Amino acid sequence: MTQDKAITIGILAMQGAVAEHQVMLKKVSSHTPTTITIVLIREVVDLSRCDGLIIPGGESTTMALLARLAGLTEPLREFVQKKPVWGTCAGAILLSQAVEGVKKGGQELLGGVDVKTERNGWGSQIESFEVPLFVEGLREPDRPFTGVFIRAPVILDITPSTFSPPVQILARLSAALLPHGQTLVAADEDDTDPRDARTVVALRQGRHLLTTFHPELTTDDRFHEFFITEYIALFAFIKITLASSV
Amino acid sequence: MSSLNVAPGSVAPVLQVSAANGTAPAAPTRSTAPGRDGLGGGSTLGTFGVKSGLAQMLKGGVIMDVTNAEQARIAEEAGACAVMALERVPADIRKEGGVARMIIQAVGVDYIDESEVLTPADEQHHINKHPFKVPFICGAKNLGEALRRISEGAAFIRTKGEAGTGNIVEAVRHQRAVSSDIRRSSAMNDEELYAFAKEISAPFHLLKEVARLKRLPVVSFAAGGIATPADAALMMQLGCDGVFVGSGIFNSGDPAKRARAIVQAVSHYNNPKMLAEVSENLGKAMVGLTIDDEVEGGRMSKRGW
Repeated sequence: MTQDKAITIGILAMQGAVAEHQVMLKKVSSHTPTTITIVLIREVVDLSRCDGLIIPGGESTTMALLARLAGLTEPLREFVQKKPVWGTCAGAILLSQAVEGVKKGGQELLGGVDVKTERNGWGSQIESFEVPLFVEGLREPDRPFTGVFIRAPVILDITPSTFSPPVQILARLSAALLPHGQTLVAADEDDTDPRDARTVVALRQGRHLLTTFHPELTTDDRFHEFFITEYIALFAFIKITLASSV
Repeated sequence: MSSLNVAPGSVAPVLQVSAANGTAPAAPTRSTAPGRDGLGGGSTLGTFGVKSGLAQMLKGGVIMDVTNAEQARIAEEAGACAVMALERVPADIRKEGGVARMIIQAVGVDYIDESEVLTPADEQHHINKHPFKVPFICGAKNLGEALRRISEGAAFIRTKGEAGTGNIVEAVRHQRAVSSDIRRSSAMNDEELYAFAKEISAPFHLLKEVARLKRLPVVSFAAGGIATPADAALMMQLGCDGVFVGSGIFNSGDPAKRARAIVQAVSHYNNPKMLAEVSENLGKAMVGLTIDDEVEGGRMSKRGW
């Protein structure tokens, strides 16, 4: 199949770093055969046109509240059940099965990925950091990708159920970078276990992608390209083949 | 969420409080043995990228001034993306005089407002903000002032409207001035940019970056005098990335309802039907002040340099 593909990607535009994802998708569209139409999701009608969705970074409680007030919570949950979704930072929290460190009265989640996360797990803003990451699946995998972690969530646990797709780890941090001496990691805890779930910063489960950092804040569009080619284009292609085989 | 008390007129103590959290303030690098388990070593704390990046996460949101935990809770329930802890809201500072202690916190101290407007502690100098790991937000009434602050290390800019008046006219003036100068600069060649940089007293390299990007290199919010959902939507339509609301919420008849309406207005600023809906039955708005030279405390936009 060499024919050009045309796909539509939604970016949930309740609050947060929406324009940054938009810029990245335009960049990907300019150098791949895939024509990407971008829709900023503010109302339910916007969602039905999309082949895939990005939930950006921002304030997850604000996004969840605005989504509910706009009547988007249930349509978004249905979308997550059917189509590819990528959550960055706050978006990763919303895709989680469970979350810790939430406001009084709890927080609404969309679910979809079998992980438990902790909001702001690395600490406050002065603990925010940048770090070179090696990410499986990206173009030029040997060239590090700059991970920008801003009051980022930490993945506490990965618990896929028997009926859900397996979880594939795409990138980890060194266990020594985990925030020691805080509630998350005890000061005397052994930091040598490289399989610790808390070191995972990017993963995929089925058609969903989850990153606790912000690829949209870099000038490197390899992550967005990965999402488009590995998830959306593939999924859109399967849809076309199924339709033509009927 | 609780507000953090800081010594009057000084922001430096805040940083010590924050820096005491296990990392040395002078060396913002957390290095790990490189390649220890084949994973990226050498992470860097407090880069300009993470300082300005936090502001990017607040875009399309509302930051609310709060003076106590109860107000912070109302702000959170209303969907504020962050709160700014103050001793008093600007309307009261205007009336009573005194020291404003401004720290933005989402949880913990995440930003410091240099607060050169309400109660300047130093009439000559701005703080060199680069060495700090905690990002700073500064006010600006035109492009030159915004770029001077960014050059000093500000990671977040806001308009310098007349806080505490419930009158938005100054904030509109500042936002229009900044956008108009950005549009002008984007059509200039290098020779003209050198001359323009001199005219507005802005660093050439930052002005050139603005001309290329056709926007400020950091996020900019509206602040000063926003009291209704329509005010907030107007500022968004003028190109602001989000809004600050202070006295407009907690000096109104129904703070919880008004706060939520302003949050929705910022998110849906281009949807007139939604704006009309959220503006219904909000109760009494704060009593606005006319801005003239007699205004209590003097004009704030005349402060700063």
